[in-house]
Amino acid sequence: MEWGAVSSEGKEVSTILESGSQRTLSPYVTGTSVLGLKYKDGVIMAADMGGSYGSTLRYKSVERIKPIGKHTLLGASGEISDFQEILRYLDELIIYDHMWDDGNSLGPKEVHNYLNRVMYNRRNKFDPLWNSLVVGGVKNGQKYLGMVGMIGTHYEDNHVATGFGNHLARPIMRAEWREDLTFEEAVKILEKCLLVLLYRDRSAINKFQISKITEEGVTISEPYALKTNWDFSAFQNPTKGAEGSW
Amino acid sequence: MKLDTSGLETFVPPSRGLNVLPSDFTASPAFDLPGCTDFDGFQKNAVQMVKPAKGTTTLAFIFKEGVIVAADSRASMGGYISSQTVKKIIEINPYMIGTMAGGAADCQFWHRNLGIKCRLHELANKRRISVTGASKLLANILYSYRGMGLSVGTMIAGWDETGPGLYYVDSEGGRLKGKRFSVGSGSPYAYAVLDSGYRFDLSIEEAAELARRAIYHATFRDGASGGVASVYYVGPDGWKKLSGDDVGELHYKYYPVVTSSVEQEMAEAPVA
Amino acid sequence: MALRGDWVYENNGGTCVAIAGSDYCVVAADTRLSVGYSIYTRDYSKICKLADKCVLASSGFQGDMKALQKNLAAKHLIYQHQHNKQMSCPAMARLLSNTLYYKRFFPYYTFNILGGLDNEGKGCVYSYDAVGSYERTGYSCQGTGGNLITPVLDNQLKSPSPLLLPSRDAVTPLSESEAVDLVKDVFASATERDIYTGDKLEIIIVNATGIRQEFLDLRKD
Repeated sequence: MEWGAVSSEGKEVSTILESGSQRTLSPYVTGTSVLGLKYKDGVIMAADMGGSYGSTLRYKSVERIKPIGKHTLLGASGEISDFQEILRYLDELIIYDHMWDDGNSLGPKEVHNYLNRVMYNRRNKFDPLWNSLVVGGVKNGQKYLGMVGMIGTHYEDNHVATGFGNHLARPIMRAEWREDLTFEEAVKILEKCLLVLLYRDRSAINKFQISKITEEGVTISEPYALKTNWDFSAFQNPTKGAEGSW
Repeated sequence: MKLDTSGLETFVPPSRGLNVLPSDFTASPAFDLPGCTDFDGFQKNAVQMVKPAKGTTTLAFIFKEGVIVAADSRASMGGYISSQTVKKIIEINPYMIGTMAGGAADCQFWHRNLGIKCRLHELANKRRISVTGASKLLANILYSYRGMGLSVGTMIAGWDETGPGLYYVDSEGGRLKGKRFSVGSGSPYAYAVLDSGYRFDLSIEEAAELARRAIYHATFRDGASGGVASVYYVGPDGWKKLSGDDVGELHYKYYPVVTSSVEQEMAEAPVA
Repeated sequence: MALRGDWVYENNGGTCVAIAGSDYCVVAADTRLSVGYSIYTRDYSKICKLADKCVLASSGFQGDMKALQKNLAAKHLIYQHQHNKQMSCPAMARLLSNTLYYKRFFPYYTFNILGGLDNEGKGCVYSYDAVGSYERTGYSCQGTGGNLITPVLDNQLKSPSPLLLPSRDAVTPLSESEAVDLVKDVFASATERDIYTGDKLEIIIVNATGIRQEFLDLRKD
């Protein structure tokens, strides 16, 4: 579905609307927040494994963090099928790049830049990829962490989070992040954020994957659950102290 | 299975090799159109977001010696004055000028475009384009974009082989030949002054003063007009800027502060 | 709403200021990138160096900002290959105007200020709307804090209008360091009242010796 271009001479070349092509008008199966932060030796990323169909928890083992090439990790929230399409694009890109056999390889910066342009170009076609992506990696001793939104908004930072995570997890990360975080400390911060999200984000589930990327390569953890505590007084009697409520 | 790589279009597709630049990279670009189904709705929405500058008083008239063109210099976005120094009289070439009302970018761009076309005409035909021809070029371009949301209300004034020329052209496709025009939100006020003071045999000084006065009075009554009243004259030797006055200062020229005579001196109250 | 396509834009906020002097130009912008009430990052540079004596500061939608900067940088690269020189600031100003207008029907949601030195070495500032209308000014402010800062700059720098005839000298009376101080002051104040402005201020100073960069911390709340 495209409008024909109008030349600067003012002549309309073509304005026929082709119907029939498909585009995502609203997402179907979605994943919620992805968190990422830099630590001493690299970058770590965390996300739960839920796939929501509207408010229904449709899938419970969706892998939302994937390695891209040797130096990059990609995490996605939003439409799962669009994420899988992105993975196909990246596969093709990495294989094509590998075929040159020139000893060069794409780093996280290149992958991020590629995704920025893909996301932005798709929004320009009014056919967006309904995702927020987190790109992290290490190459040549350089740590990298960035994010791209559905319409191509992108940035780098020491810690990033998509969706609800930007509201609930970023403040924690801002308070606790340091340049020289150890892996254990970084995991601890992420688990704290994941718990907060689990308590307050309706579509978050208690089955997570945490992954790290260092100069040595990628490690993605087996799915695991966190110990929850529902005995907080605010949970026990949520309406206590809220006057006018029953 | 064939991979769908449509997401990579407008980007260099890997399979084509990385040394291929889009072939039309250096060619002059065409207008980008939004790919949504509701073009009008999108335009309306986009226009609301970018808040283009609005509000104007411009006028032009033909008299014995040539054409006088005058304008204010204010641009406002709703109640906010976004600029007091807009150049609303655009110099197309040494013999022709255009005025600006409506969308600032639309006017600027298409006048610039008209300037190019006029110069090309000159090179192709070894003589300057007529005001009639130039205004028609502009009107035809604007007409081809009719309904797409352009907003232009302009007067093309100049001097050609037939003498002084003045046309009104707008983005709805209108093109009128005339002796006297005023365009913009302040035009009713400008017309009032202009119509009551206009004669064909005005001298250049008188004509310039009439134009200046008309612009001043429009800025006085129309909130969306103000700034500097610029007056241009187009004669056989091309255009010339005659004056540019801050209307705040003009006010004291038209309405000097009169020191009122003392009616009563204060005196010591008589002791009771 | 989806058909109307209003989701293609996002306002990421930010404020840009530029002041031109007789032999310098100061261009400044804050580094906050936000949407609605949440902040994406506190350290995003909105200023882009286009040529040796020409810098662009933009605010609005970040995706469009970056696309515009990349577009101009690419055009400038080709210009250098064809002419073997840097593009002048007035030429870059016209290029930017045309580039913005070519997207008239699907605009770049960006508010730009171009600052630098002109062919005579004088400071110049060009101010734009989103679809490419532009004018050369002595100083300019755009973005979410524009309505707060512009009146202050008017008060401190108000130079005679360039439209006046007989024309009067319209160069900012301030020295380079005074201009930098004024920029710091107006941003500190705008940060107090505009939620989209804050975190850090990036100041670029262009003069005959080259380009210099300064930073100033702003409120982070």
